[in-house]
Amino acid sequence: MFVYEKKLQYPVKIATPNPKLAAVIISQYGGPDGELGASMRYLSQRFSMPYPELKGLLTDIGTEELGHLEMVGAIIHQLTRDLNDEQIRTAGFDAYFVDRTTGVYPTAASGFPWSAASMAVKGDVIADLTEDLAAEQKARVTYDNILRLSDDPDVNDVIKFLREREIVHFQRFGEGLRLAKEKMNAKNVYYLNPSFD
Amino acid sequence: METAKKAGAATDAALRCGEGAGSLPGVCAPLAFPYIPMQENDPPRYSQNDAMRAGTLFPGLDLPFHKEIRSRFPNADPALTELMALDFAIQELGLYLTTHADDREALELYWSYIRLGKQGREKYVEQYGPLCLTDVTPGSFKWLNDPWPWDLGGND
Repeated sequence: MFVYEKKLQYPVKIATPNPKLAAVIISQYGGPDGELGASMRYLSQRFSMPYPELKGLLTDIGTEELGHLEMVGAIIHQLTRDLNDEQIRTAGFDAYFVDRTTGVYPTAASGFPWSAASMAVKGDVIADLTEDLAAEQKARVTYDNILRLSDDPDVNDVIKFLREREIVHFQRFGEGLRLAKEKMNAKNVYYLNPSFD
Repeated sequence: METAKKAGAATDAALRCGEGAGSLPGVCAPLAFPYIPMQENDPPRYSQNDAMRAGTLFPGLDLPFHKEIRSRFPNADPALTELMALDFAIQELGLYLTTHADDREALELYWSYIRLGKQGREKYVEQYGPLCLTDVTPGSFKWLNDPWPWDLGGND
Protein backbone atom coordinates (compact mmCIF):
# COMPACT_ATOMS: atom_id res chain seq x y z
CA MET A 1 0.00 0.00 0.00
CA PHE A 2 1.03 3.61 -0.15
CA VAL A 3 1.24 6.20 2.62
CA TYR A 4 1.45 9.92 1.88
CA GLU A 5 4.24 11.98 3.34
CA LYS A 6 3.43 15.69 3.63
CA LYS A 7 6.59 17.03 2.02
CA LEU A 8 8.15 17.23 -1.44
CA GLN A 9 11.29 15.35 -2.44
CA TYR A 10 12.92 18.67 -3.40
CA PRO A 11 11.56 22.15 -2.55
CA VAL A 12 9.42 24.02 -5.10
CA LYS A 13 9.30 27.79 -4.59
CA ILE A 14 8.30 29.76 -7.69
CA ALA A 15 8.44 33.54 -7.11
CA THR A 16 6.93 34.69 -10.42
CA PRO A 17 3.75 33.30 -12.01
CA ASN A 18 4.20 32.44 -15.69
CA PRO A 19 1.22 30.72 -17.35
CA LYS A 20 2.97 30.33 -20.68
CA LEU A 21 5.74 28.30 -19.06
CA ALA A 22 3.16 26.24 -17.13
CA ALA A 23 1.52 25.32 -20.45
CA VAL A 24 4.83 23.77 -21.55
CA ILE A 25 5.82 22.08 -18.29
CA ILE A 26 2.40 20.37 -18.05
CA SER A 27 3.84 17.81 -20.48
CA GLN A 28 5.94 16.34 -17.70
CA TYR A 29 2.73 15.94 -15.68
CA GLY A 30 0.58 14.18 -18.25
CA GLY A 31 2.50 14.08 -21.53
CA PRO A 32 3.90 11.05 -23.39
CA ASP A 33 7.15 10.95 -21.36
CA GLY A 34 5.83 12.54 -18.19
CA GLU A 35 5.89 11.47 -14.57
CA LEU A 36 2.35 10.05 -14.49
CA GLY A 37 3.20 7.64 -17.32
CA ALA A 38 6.50 6.81 -15.64
CA SER A 39 4.89 5.82 -12.34
CA MET A 40 2.10 3.84 -14.05
CA ARG A 41 4.60 2.07 -16.32
CA TYR A 42 6.88 0.92 -13.49
CA LEU A 43 4.25 0.21 -10.88
CA SER A 44 2.34 -1.89 -13.44
CA GLN A 45 5.32 -3.71 -14.95
CA ARG A 46 6.49 -4.94 -11.56
CA PHE A 47 3.66 -7.49 -11.19
CA SER A 48 5.07 -9.75 -13.88
CA MET A 49 8.73 -9.39 -12.89
CA PRO A 50 10.20 -12.79 -11.94
CA TYR A 51 13.25 -11.64 -9.93
CA PRO A 52 13.31 -9.83 -6.57
CA GLU A 53 15.84 -7.17 -7.70
CA LEU A 54 13.47 -6.14 -10.49
CA LYS A 55 10.39 -6.12 -8.25
CA GLY A 56 12.33 -3.86 -5.90
CA LEU A 57 13.68 -1.62 -8.63
CA LEU A 58 10.30 -1.00 -10.27
CA THR A 59 8.57 -0.45 -6.92
CA ASP A 60 11.25 1.98 -5.77
CA ILE A 61 11.53 4.00 -8.98
CA GLY A 62 7.76 3.89 -9.63
CA THR A 63 7.18 5.35 -6.17
CA GLU A 64 9.83 8.05 -6.63
CA GLU A 65 8.11 9.04 -9.91
CA LEU A 66 4.88 9.66 -7.95
CA GLY A 67 6.91 12.12 -5.88
CA HIS A 68 8.12 13.74 -9.11
CA LEU A 69 4.53 13.96 -10.37
CA GLU A 70 3.74 15.92 -7.21
CA MET A 71 6.72 18.25 -7.77
CA VAL A 72 5.74 18.97 -11.39
CA GLY A 73 2.15 19.57 -10.24
CA ALA A 74 3.49 22.00 -7.61
CA ILE A 75 5.42 23.90 -10.31
CA ILE A 76 2.27 24.20 -12.48
CA HIS A 77 0.16 25.22 -9.48
CA GLN A 78 2.60 27.93 -8.41
CA LEU A 79 3.19 29.22 -11.95
CA THR A 80 -0.56 29.76 -12.44
CA ARG A 81 -1.48 31.47 -9.18
CA ASP A 82 -3.07 34.94 -8.92
CA LEU A 83 -3.45 35.39 -12.68
CA ASN A 84 -4.97 38.61 -14.02
CA ASP A 85 -7.20 38.93 -17.10
CA GLU A 86 -4.26 39.69 -19.32
CA GLN A 87 -2.29 36.67 -18.10
CA ILE A 88 -5.10 34.18 -18.73
CA ARG A 89 -5.16 35.40 -22.34
CA THR A 90 -1.47 34.49 -22.74
CA ALA A 91 -0.98 32.70 -26.00
CA GLY A 92 -0.33 29.05 -25.20
CA PHE A 93 -2.20 29.14 -21.88
CA ASP A 94 -5.64 30.42 -23.03
CA ALA A 95 -6.54 27.05 -24.59
CA TYR A 96 -5.70 25.25 -21.34
CA PHE A 97 -7.50 27.84 -19.23
CA VAL A 98 -10.81 27.59 -21.07
CA ASP A 99 -11.04 23.86 -20.25
CA ARG A 100 -9.33 23.54 -16.87
CA THR A 101 -9.17 27.06 -15.37
CA THR A 102 -6.04 26.70 -13.18
CA GLY A 103 -6.66 23.10 -12.19
CA VAL A 104 -3.75 20.72 -12.80
CA TYR A 105 -4.85 18.18 -15.43
CA PRO A 106 -2.68 15.37 -16.85
CA THR A 107 -2.24 16.40 -20.45
CA ALA A 108 0.58 16.85 -22.94
CA ALA A 109 1.59 20.40 -23.86
CA SER A 110 -0.02 19.68 -27.24
CA GLY A 111 -3.42 19.35 -25.48
CA PHE A 112 -3.59 15.58 -25.90
CA PRO A 113 -4.85 14.17 -22.56
CA TRP A 114 -2.70 11.60 -20.73
CA SER A 115 -2.99 8.25 -22.42
CA ALA A 116 -1.92 4.77 -21.36
CA ALA A 117 -0.96 4.40 -25.02
CA SER A 118 2.17 6.41 -24.20
CA MET A 119 3.51 3.62 -21.97
CA ALA A 120 3.91 -0.12 -22.30
CA VAL A 121 3.67 -3.28 -20.21
CA LYS A 122 4.79 -6.23 -22.32
CA GLY A 123 5.06 -8.88 -19.59
CA ASP A 124 8.60 -9.78 -20.68
CA VAL A 125 11.72 -8.93 -18.69
CA ILE A 126 13.97 -7.76 -21.53
CA ALA A 127 11.23 -5.93 -23.44
CA ASP A 128 9.94 -4.11 -20.36
CA LEU A 129 13.34 -3.07 -19.04
CA THR A 130 14.45 -1.90 -22.49
CA GLU A 131 11.28 0.18 -22.64
CA ASP A 132 12.18 1.65 -19.26
CA LEU A 133 15.68 2.60 -20.41
CA ALA A 134 14.17 4.42 -23.41
CA ALA A 135 11.51 6.05 -21.22
CA GLU A 136 14.14 7.53 -18.89
CA GLN A 137 16.03 8.93 -21.88
CA LYS A 138 12.86 10.49 -23.34
CA ALA A 139 12.01 12.09 -20.02
CA ARG A 140 15.59 13.38 -19.77
CA VAL A 141 15.29 15.00 -23.22
CA THR A 142 11.96 16.61 -22.25
CA TYR A 143 13.65 18.16 -19.22
CA ASP A 144 16.55 19.30 -21.44
CA ASN A 145 13.99 20.95 -23.72
CA ILE A 146 12.25 22.63 -20.78
CA LEU A 147 15.64 24.03 -19.74
CA ARG A 148 16.00 25.44 -23.26
CA LEU A 149 12.54 27.04 -23.14
CA SER A 150 12.59 28.42 -19.59
CA ASP A 151 14.68 31.21 -18.15
CA ASP A 152 13.03 31.16 -14.73
CA PRO A 153 15.75 30.20 -12.21
CA ASP A 154 13.19 28.98 -9.62
CA VAL A 155 11.73 26.56 -12.16
CA ASN A 156 15.05 25.50 -13.65
CA ASP A 157 16.45 24.68 -10.22
CA VAL A 158 13.77 22.00 -9.80
CA ILE A 159 13.88 20.82 -13.43
CA LYS A 160 17.63 20.29 -13.17
CA PHE A 161 17.08 18.00 -10.16
CA LEU A 162 14.35 16.01 -11.94
CA ARG A 163 16.47 15.67 -15.06
CA GLU A 164 19.38 14.17 -13.15
CA ARG A 165 17.06 11.59 -11.56
CA GLU A 166 16.31 10.26 -15.07
CA ILE A 167 20.02 9.57 -15.59
CA VAL A 168 20.31 7.74 -12.26
CA HIS A 169 17.19 5.67 -13.06
CA PHE A 170 18.59 4.83 -16.50
CA GLN A 171 21.73 3.49 -14.82
CA ARG A 172 19.73 1.40 -12.33
CA PHE A 173 17.44 -0.08 -14.99
CA GLY A 174 20.53 -1.04 -16.97
CA GLU A 175 21.98 -2.71 -13.89
CA GLY A 176 18.66 -4.49 -13.35
CA LEU A 177 18.87 -5.85 -16.87
CA ARG A 178 22.40 -7.09 -16.17
CA LEU A 179 21.32 -8.81 -12.95
CA ALA A 180 18.37 -10.39 -14.77
CA LYS A 181 20.63 -11.69 -17.53
CA GLU A 182 22.72 -13.60 -15.03
CA LYS A 183 19.61 -15.59 -14.11
CA MET A 184 18.57 -16.33 -17.68
CA ASN A 185 19.71 -18.99 -20.13
CA ALA A 186 23.44 -18.29 -20.56
CA LYS A 187 23.55 -19.29 -24.24
CA ASN A 188 20.30 -17.70 -25.39
CA VAL A 189 18.46 -15.13 -23.28
CA TYR A 190 15.54 -15.30 -25.71
CA TYR A 191 15.01 -19.04 -25.23
CA LEU A 192 12.05 -18.37 -23.00
CA ASN A 193 10.30 -15.54 -21.19
CA PRO A 194 11.00 -15.91 -17.44
CA SER A 195 7.97 -13.73 -16.70
CA PHE A 196 5.71 -16.38 -18.24
CA ASP A 197 7.38 -19.72 -19.00
CA MET B 1 31.46 19.99 -4.95
CA GLU B 2 33.16 17.99 -2.30
CA THR B 3 33.03 14.27 -2.13
CA ALA B 4 32.23 13.02 1.37
CA LYS B 5 35.38 11.70 2.95
CA LYS B 6 33.83 10.24 6.06
CA ALA B 7 34.18 6.63 7.16
CA GLY B 8 32.42 4.45 4.67
CA ALA B 9 33.08 6.72 1.72
CA ALA B 10 35.22 5.03 -0.89
CA THR B 11 38.55 6.23 -2.12
CA ASP B 12 39.02 6.26 -5.88
CA ALA B 13 41.73 3.63 -5.46
CA ALA B 14 39.12 1.12 -4.26
CA LEU B 15 37.35 1.37 -7.62
CA ARG B 16 38.97 -0.54 -10.42
CA CYS B 17 37.26 1.47 -13.15
CA GLY B 18 37.12 4.96 -11.59
CA GLU B 19 33.95 6.69 -10.39
CA GLY B 20 32.58 7.53 -13.84
CA ALA B 21 33.05 4.05 -15.33
CA GLY B 22 31.88 0.55 -14.46
CA SER B 23 32.43 -3.13 -15.08
CA LEU B 24 31.23 -5.07 -18.12
CA PRO B 25 31.15 -8.88 -18.16
CA GLY B 26 34.62 -9.76 -19.42
CA VAL B 27 36.25 -8.71 -22.67
CA CYS B 28 33.62 -10.39 -24.85
CA ALA B 29 29.87 -10.10 -24.34
CA PRO B 30 27.01 -11.91 -26.07
CA LEU B 31 25.36 -10.24 -29.05
CA ALA B 32 21.85 -8.77 -29.14
CA PHE B 33 21.76 -7.66 -25.52
CA PRO B 34 22.08 -4.10 -24.21
CA TYR B 35 24.74 -3.47 -21.57
CA ILE B 36 24.99 -0.74 -19.00
CA PRO B 37 28.19 -1.02 -16.94
CA MET B 38 27.55 -2.00 -13.31
CA GLN B 39 28.45 0.82 -10.97
CA GLU B 40 31.20 -0.59 -8.77
CA ASN B 41 30.69 -1.25 -5.07
CA ASP B 42 31.24 1.49 -2.52
CA PRO B 43 31.45 4.32 -5.07
CA PRO B 44 32.48 7.88 -4.05
CA ARG B 45 29.60 9.91 -2.65
CA TYR B 46 28.68 13.56 -2.30
CA SER B 47 27.74 15.11 1.02
CA GLN B 48 23.97 15.23 1.57
CA ASN B 49 23.56 18.86 0.49
CA ASP B 50 25.78 18.42 -2.55
CA ALA B 51 23.73 15.35 -3.49
CA MET B 52 20.57 17.50 -3.50
CA ARG B 53 22.35 20.10 -5.62
CA ALA B 54 23.49 17.48 -8.11
CA GLY B 55 20.29 15.39 -8.07
CA THR B 56 22.37 12.30 -7.28
CA LEU B 57 24.47 11.04 -4.38
CA PHE B 58 27.11 9.76 -6.81
CA PRO B 59 29.65 12.06 -8.55
CA GLY B 60 30.12 9.38 -11.22
CA LEU B 61 26.48 9.75 -12.31
CA ASP B 62 26.44 13.56 -12.13
CA LEU B 63 26.13 14.40 -15.85
CA PRO B 64 24.67 17.92 -16.27
CA PHE B 65 23.13 19.56 -19.35
CA HIS B 66 24.80 22.68 -20.77
CA LYS B 67 21.72 24.85 -20.11
CA GLU B 68 21.60 23.96 -16.44
CA ILE B 69 21.92 26.59 -13.76
CA ARG B 70 23.77 26.34 -10.50
CA SER B 71 21.52 24.73 -7.90
CA ARG B 72 20.01 26.99 -5.26
CA PHE B 73 19.59 24.26 -2.66
CA PRO B 74 18.97 24.80 0.23
CA ASN B 75 16.50 27.54 -0.71
CA ALA B 76 13.82 26.87 1.87
CA ASP B 77 13.24 26.25 5.56
CA PRO B 78 16.47 24.82 7.07
CA ALA B 79 14.78 22.14 9.21
CA LEU B 80 12.80 20.93 6.20
CA THR B 81 15.69 21.01 3.73
CA GLU B 82 17.93 19.18 6.19
CA LEU B 83 15.35 16.41 6.41
CA MET B 84 14.88 16.43 2.61
CA ALA B 85 18.63 16.06 2.07
CA LEU B 86 18.88 13.19 4.54
CA ASP B 87 15.82 11.46 3.08
CA PHE B 88 17.26 11.89 -0.41
CA ALA B 89 20.54 10.25 0.60
CA ILE B 90 18.51 7.40 2.11
CA GLN B 91 16.40 7.05 -1.03
CA GLU B 92 19.43 7.12 -3.34
CA LEU B 93 21.27 4.50 -1.25
CA GLY B 94 18.16 2.32 -1.08
CA LEU B 95 17.83 2.41 -4.86
CA TYR B 96 21.55 1.68 -5.24
CA LEU B 97 21.19 -1.31 -2.89
CA THR B 98 18.44 -2.84 -5.05
CA THR B 99 21.13 -3.54 -7.66
CA HIS B 100 24.08 -3.80 -5.21
CA ALA B 101 22.65 -5.89 -2.39
CA ASP B 102 26.13 -7.21 -1.50
CA ASP B 103 27.70 -3.77 -0.85
CA ARG B 104 28.20 -3.98 2.91
CA GLU B 105 29.69 -0.46 3.24
CA ALA B 106 26.70 1.12 1.51
CA LEU B 107 24.29 -0.94 3.63
CA GLU B 108 25.93 0.18 6.88
CA LEU B 109 25.78 3.80 5.74
CA TYR B 110 22.15 3.34 4.65
CA TRP B 111 21.18 2.06 8.08
CA SER B 112 23.08 4.79 9.89
CA TYR B 113 21.27 7.44 7.80
CA ILE B 114 17.93 5.79 8.55
CA ARG B 115 18.65 5.90 12.30
CA LEU B 116 19.61 9.57 12.00
CA GLY B 117 16.48 10.19 9.95
CA LYS B 118 14.24 8.75 12.64
CA GLN B 119 15.54 11.26 15.21
CA GLY B 120 15.33 14.10 12.69
CA ARG B 121 11.71 13.31 11.85
CA GLU B 122 10.66 13.23 15.49
CA LYS B 123 12.19 16.65 16.06
CA TYR B 124 10.65 18.02 12.88
CA VAL B 125 7.17 16.71 13.70
CA GLU B 126 7.34 18.15 17.20
CA GLN B 127 8.28 21.61 15.89
CA TYR B 128 6.41 21.90 12.59
CA GLY B 129 3.61 19.35 12.53
CA PRO B 130 2.96 15.92 11.08
CA LEU B 131 4.70 14.44 8.04
CA CYS B 132 2.31 11.48 8.01
CA LEU B 133 -1.36 11.31 8.91
CA THR B 134 -0.43 8.86 11.67
CA ASP B 135 2.16 11.13 13.36
CA VAL B 136 1.04 11.90 16.92
CA THR B 137 1.14 15.65 17.55
CA PRO B 138 0.73 17.25 20.96
CA GLY B 139 -2.51 19.11 21.66
CA SER B 140 -4.53 18.88 18.48
CA PHE B 141 -5.02 17.32 15.05
CA LYS B 142 -2.59 19.27 12.89
CA TRP B 143 -2.61 17.23 9.67
CA LEU B 144 -4.91 19.66 7.87
CA ASN B 145 -2.87 22.75 8.63
CA ASP B 146 -1.92 24.89 5.62
CA PRO B 147 0.29 25.22 3.71
CA TRP B 148 0.44 21.88 1.90
CA PRO B 149 3.68 20.97 0.15
CA TRP B 150 2.59 22.18 -3.30
CA ASP B 151 1.40 25.58 -2.09
CA LEU B 152 3.59 28.64 -2.24
CA GLY B 153 5.15 28.74 1.21
CA GLY B 154 4.75 24.99 1.59
CA ASN B 155 8.51 24.66 1.73
CA ASP B 156 9.28 27.72 3.86
